[in-house]
Amino acid sequence: MNGLSVLLKKLIRSGAGRKRFVAAVIGLSVAMVLILAAVQIQSDYNELLFGKNNKDSIANFLVVNKVLTDKNIGATSLSQEEITDLKNQPFVESVGLLTPSRFKASIQSASDRFPFYTDIAFESVPDEFLDITSKDWHWDEGQQFVPIIVPGMFLDFYNFQFSFSQNLPQLTREVVKMIGFKVNMYTRDGVISFPGRVVGFSDRVSSLLVPQQFMNWANTKAAGTGQNINPSRVIIQTKDPGNPALTEYLKSKNLAADADKTRFSRYRRVVDVIVNISWGTGASMLFFALLIFTMFIQLTVTSCKEEIRLLLQLGASPKQLRKFLFWQFLPVNYLVCLLTLGIIQVLQVVLHEMLAKQNISIPFTISTNVFFAALAVLLLISGTIFLSIKRYTQHNPADTNIRKFYNKYLL
Amino acid sequence: MVIECDHIVPVPLKDRLLNRSSNIWNVRFSCAQGELIKIKAPSGTGKTTFIHFLYSIRNDYEGVIRFDDTDIAGYNGNRLAQIRQYKLSIIFQDLRLFPNLTARENIELKRILQPAVKNKESVEEMAELLGIQHILDQKAGICSYGEQQRVAIIRALMQPFTWLIMDEPFSHLDSENTKKAAGLILRECKERNAGLIMTDLENDNWFPYNRQLLL
Repeated sequence: MNGLSVLLKKLIRSGAGRKRFVAAVIGLSVAMVLILAAVQIQSDYNELLFGKNNKDSIANFLVVNKVLTDKNIGATSLSQEEITDLKNQPFVESVGLLTPSRFKASIQSASDRFPFYTDIAFESVPDEFLDITSKDWHWDEGQQFVPIIVPGMFLDFYNFQFSFSQNLPQLTREVVKMIGFKVNMYTRDGVISFPGRVVGFSDRVSSLLVPQQFMNWANTKAAGTGQNINPSRVIIQTKDPGNPALTEYLKSKNLAADADKTRFSRYRRVVDVIVNISWGTGASMLFFALLIFTMFIQLTVTSCKEEIRLLLQLGASPKQLRKFLFWQFLPVNYLVCLLTLGIIQVLQVVLHEMLAKQNISIPFTISTNVFFAALAVLLLISGTIFLSIKRYTQHNPADTNIRKFYNKYLL
Repeated sequence: MVIECDHIVPVPLKDRLLNRSSNIWNVRFSCAQGELIKIKAPSGTGKTTFIHFLYSIRNDYEGVIRFDDTDIAGYNGNRLAQIRQYKLSIIFQDLRLFPNLTARENIELKRILQPAVKNKESVEEMAELLGIQHILDQKAGICSYGEQQRVAIIRALMQPFTWLIMDEPFSHLDSENTKKAAGLILRECKERNAGLIMTDLENDNWFPYNRQLLL
């Protein structure tokens, strides 16, 4: 510290409001902890939702249909307006229509050595909603072979239940993909058969899927073009299936989605409440702390009115004094900031350890957002200090004000 | 720096002062760089008021005061500070020391308020010359008026200036000490090629004045 600051410090003492100052600093620290904690919690939660470690690809696609009740039996199709409305929601990335087959179909084994037969129905979805990439997954008019995608859980059901009860062999996915069978389609003009094979297993849509082109062709062939009925189910892509707004929306429209995938929304609501309380309390505490700080500066300046007046008369510039005062009040805030960051880091480590025991992984170090938030708060404090010093040194009865006074009342 | 006063009259004393003749009030005069000027002023004629006008502590006057052709009424706080740090030094009649700082700290404050032109040794030298070396580390508030006045004189000599304005600077000093102080002041003014304006109640010969004005 230079000699002038030492002398100014002797003159402009802040002893009068020491307690207020301490109160302001404590308030500021608590406010800072709350605000930064809110930022950190939010960032941890985002990490859980979107972080690579916790990525859950099926969670981002939801199959949505109307809730079936006594009243809407037979009328569960979604109207064009309902689909458009769904598309327009901010939490919906894209919507794909699930097209049901409008014809009777069955599959049966191609050879008699391993006989089976079952009636089935197909659905199709646009390719971008599928989690399967298979070179066989395409169909053009005139093509005989029909590729089929089967829900993964169908095979699980067969392998772990059905095969035991019927004394049948268990089948791996690879084996199933090698079994060829006959797909029969019953149209007004008779039965059309195609060779078919399973080309993939999907965990996303629980239907037997055929390519969209085949479905379009087959529906037209079997039921004619005129009856283009609305779909009963759609698949939506969303960034965050745990978004409470999505759950709210589905509920209000009497729609249902795979409930398991929206399970996050409950936790999310709790986290949101905690974050908001922390934010709100922190922000209001910050406001009051800044208010006390401002009052403290005012008190200091007022109690040293005479000294400041004489300093100005001796030639100290207002700039010099403001700079001195600014550095009197600011450093403690840097200290508070560093201390708070330390506290948040310790809390994060504790939380990390606690959650690791439950196999939930959050980062060990605090998020960079916390540093940005701390910087923002620090800037806010600096700005407030700067402005209040400027304001109160201007209101000081320095020479310029005597000038104003005479100009106003006497001249 | 040329100081020019153009028909200045203090507003509160206007009626009374316009009835008497004066070399300063309501006339135009200027002070050239380096002039030694004595202003003799009977009590109640606005001596301190005039000093405060020059130093921009008050501006309840009519007329214009110019430093190098610039109206000083237009100075803002920072410009004023610059003038007070580099151009204009003052010894107040009421001394205006910080009572809670020691004599040495009072002087030191002025020495380092701007980049220093005097070193610490010159403080010692001046204090010794004026006989106040022994009270340098005493709080200014408990020093006698005579001692305080000498501290104020040394303080005023710590900064660069082109004009030294003094308002009855020797009022609490005996003639022996006055002589020493005047010698020191003159030496410092010559060193800076600076002028001085001194006000007093009576005639005196402490400085080789170029001009004597009656307030």
